[in-house]
Amino acid sequence: MSDIVITVNNFNKSFGKLRAVCDLSFEVKADSCFGFLGPNGAGKTTVMKTLYGRCLRDRNADDRVNVFGYDPAENELAIKSLSGVVQQENNLDDELNVIQNLHIYAKFYGLSSKAVKKQIDYLLEFFELGDKAKSRIRELSGGMKRRLVIARALLNNPKLLILDEPTTGLDPQVRHLIWDKLRQLKRQGTTILLTTHYMEEAFQICDEVLIMHQGKKMMHDTPLNLIEKNIESYVLEITGIESLESLEQSGLPGNVRVDKSQQVTRLYSEDTEQLRALANKLEGAQYYLRQANLEDVFLKATGKGLNEKQ
Amino acid sequence: MKSNDERLYPPLWRRLYSVWYRHMRVYTKNLLSNGLPPFLEPLLFLAGVGLGLSKYITETMDGLKYIEFLGTGLLMTSAMFTASFECTFGTFIRLEFEKVYDGMLAAPITANNLIVGEIIWAGTKGLFFSFAVLCILTVFGIVHLPYSLFVPLIGFITAVMFATLALLITSFVKTINHFNFFFTGLLSPMFFFSGVVFPIGNLPKYIQPFAEVVPLTHSVRLARAVCTCRYNIGLLGDLIYILLFIFIIGLFAVKRLKKRMIN
Repeated sequence: MSDIVITVNNFNKSFGKLRAVCDLSFEVKADSCFGFLGPNGAGKTTVMKTLYGRCLRDRNADDRVNVFGYDPAENELAIKSLSGVVQQENNLDDELNVIQNLHIYAKFYGLSSKAVKKQIDYLLEFFELGDKAKSRIRELSGGMKRRLVIARALLNNPKLLILDEPTTGLDPQVRHLIWDKLRQLKRQGTTILLTTHYMEEAFQICDEVLIMHQGKKMMHDTPLNLIEKNIESYVLEITGIESLESLEQSGLPGNVRVDKSQQVTRLYSEDTEQLRALANKLEGAQYYLRQANLEDVFLKATGKGLNEKQ
Repeated sequence: MKSNDERLYPPLWRRLYSVWYRHMRVYTKNLLSNGLPPFLEPLLFLAGVGLGLSKYITETMDGLKYIEFLGTGLLMTSAMFTASFECTFGTFIRLEFEKVYDGMLAAPITANNLIVGEIIWAGTKGLFFSFAVLCILTVFGIVHLPYSLFVPLIGFITAVMFATLALLITSFVKTINHFNFFFTGLLSPMFFFSGVVFPIGNLPKYIQPFAEVVPLTHSVRLARAVCTCRYNIGLLGDLIYILLFIFIIGLFAVKRLKKRMIN
């Protein structure tokens, strides 16, 4: 029982007529990394905000939201004192320098000044910002700002770290650094909850992934299971329609699934040799034979077209 | 469970203090550009009036020389304006543009704590601004120590009062330009018709009741009484007005603004 830190049952949230989250249920285990995937407007941020009391859910008789034994609608302070939150935007105070930004937030947690100094030194070192301690915020790169915001969320040594799109817009080096740090935190006993648009990110650091679409849970499993259970193992991607037509005329095997979009056609199959044989029949068309990945699952679950909220 | 919770997060006064501390740090970061104008502005006003206008105004107003009358009024208008700017433009920018509140509300404070912290901070600015005016007035011998030293406290409650009003306005505002209505439509008229520039008694009879309804009138009366050491029982009414205003408008402001922060 004690290893479940977040329990959500039948959680609903509407903004006026819009139902942002519908009957969502999930559990998060301690010391794990739990990822939310979903198109923009799927309700991921709303879920995050509800967990720390920034958003109030619609109350029903049978709903339940429980974080460390507390209901955010009733005891947001207890939850927030055990958590760290990184929001989508870097809301740093531009007037202050790096260390002052951390200092004003340390006040919110009521830490002693000795403990604050130690923790700030540690976090600057941990995020490789040590030589930027006195820098002004506008002198920092996007990656440094992001690391600083994450460092700020860790001032209170939280048991739960909530990250809303932590690496959006960052270069691969910074992204890998942040992933490394998150893995390290998880090993040290921090439960991590994150939303992301990067399938690679979800695959790399999440133990469990929940795919949301229009406020509803579409799939929920480990990244590997999501791929294994929901999609064929291999994909043949073909660019250009003409070459496909000739393939179709000569007849496609029954166990090959065809998914056409405007410019690219994807053939899915469990058998890589079968796809290779098909590829060889293509004359001059560009093709790419690869393993199926989380993105294929994601697009299958949430559709390829845009919806009105995206 | 209760005692357990209390150890988890700081007590109420510390939560309010941390909001206040954040604003204080950001404000004092640019000490020169933020701290000097409160001293310069009354200086300019008094220089303008003293050098130019006062020669023509020989009559006393409410038994005070014109420069004394105006000076004691300015103690309060400076508190009014600073609190109003802080809790309209300042609050709106933190709420909508800089997303400062997003970050703060992720820490263990409630939206109510945050809003009350804003009000206390605005009050502190009012205290400082009226203190700055007091310094200038004292240097020029317009008001006299030591009893005038209490006037920054009136500046504090005046700023708190205008902070609640400004926050209530902010809770309705959709774009930052709407604040122009508040400043031109409410604060500027108050500056001229609340007994700052001339006594209310000089207003036409049918306008005088309106002057009694608006908040600044009551602050100015208190400040003038403190500076001149002339008290009367009517001042108690002014004080009650201010406290009731803070309580009622503050309640609405907190309630409405909270809805904007937590949805």
